[in-house]
Amino acid sequence: MEIVSKEYKRVVALTVKGRIDSANAAQFEEQISQLTQAGKNNLVLDLSAVQFISSAGLRVLVTARKAVKSAGGDIRLASPSEQVVETLKIAGLDVLFEQFPDRESAIASF
Amino acid sequence: MFQQRLTIRARFEHLQKVRQVVEQAAAAAGLTPRDSYGCQLAVSEALENIIRHGYGGETDLPIEIDVLAKAGTLTIEVEDRAPPFNPAASPPECELDAENPPVGGLGLMIIHRAMDEVEYQRREDANWLCMRKRAAEDQANT
Repeated sequence: MEIVSKEYKRVVALTVKGRIDSANAAQFEEQISQLTQAGKNNLVLDLSAVQFISSAGLRVLVTARKAVKSAGGDIRLASPSEQVVETLKIAGLDVLFEQFPDRESAIASF
Repeated sequence: MFQQRLTIRARFEHLQKVRQVVEQAAAAAGLTPRDSYGCQLAVSEALENIIRHGYGGETDLPIEIDVLAKAGTLTIEVEDRAPPFNPAASPPECELDAENPPVGGLGLMIIHRAMDEVEYQRREDANWLCMRKRAAEDQANT
């Protein structure tokens, strides 16, 4: 898994590539919590290059969503891969995350 | 027909290897890419649960995985030596509170939703879990 972070005026966009499971979910969580602890609560996650995500990754998303929501922010997904969408749907959590066709529109939505 | 037995140590680094074998088997069984992904997800959830909860974390203890593909059906058997735990007994469907979703128990729910059959037996000192997925056209005939 590879995570690249880019900061915009009101938003931080994280591009995640690879597979997210219990082997690396803690690393994913750490990256997000560093941002939320620094007061960055408007997050765009570009998940277009995520080939696999298990519930370990979903837990990170759900926990992070709670944290940013309570601080008045949100997590929005940019062009999530078919695999990400499928995992979210199977878990019934697709309704939690607003999805955008590309990162530009996700960033502009804030 | 495709058949493969894998014995892995209970470490997360081996998850991808197992998922790859399941992907090959799903193709041999004629499952759609979507159903194949569901099977890879289910086996990953089962293994992640065993490692995290059954064995209490990563360890060198073994997990055995048997993957069998016949035309239209993929069967995955998983056996571990952790204390008794029955994943098949968990309710397959539960009401989700979208604003306050559970962060635990997601893995089991995913297994039940992704697979057509989930069966468990305690065999002496082992947990035996069998998960089965049928190709959509086969399912219509059963």
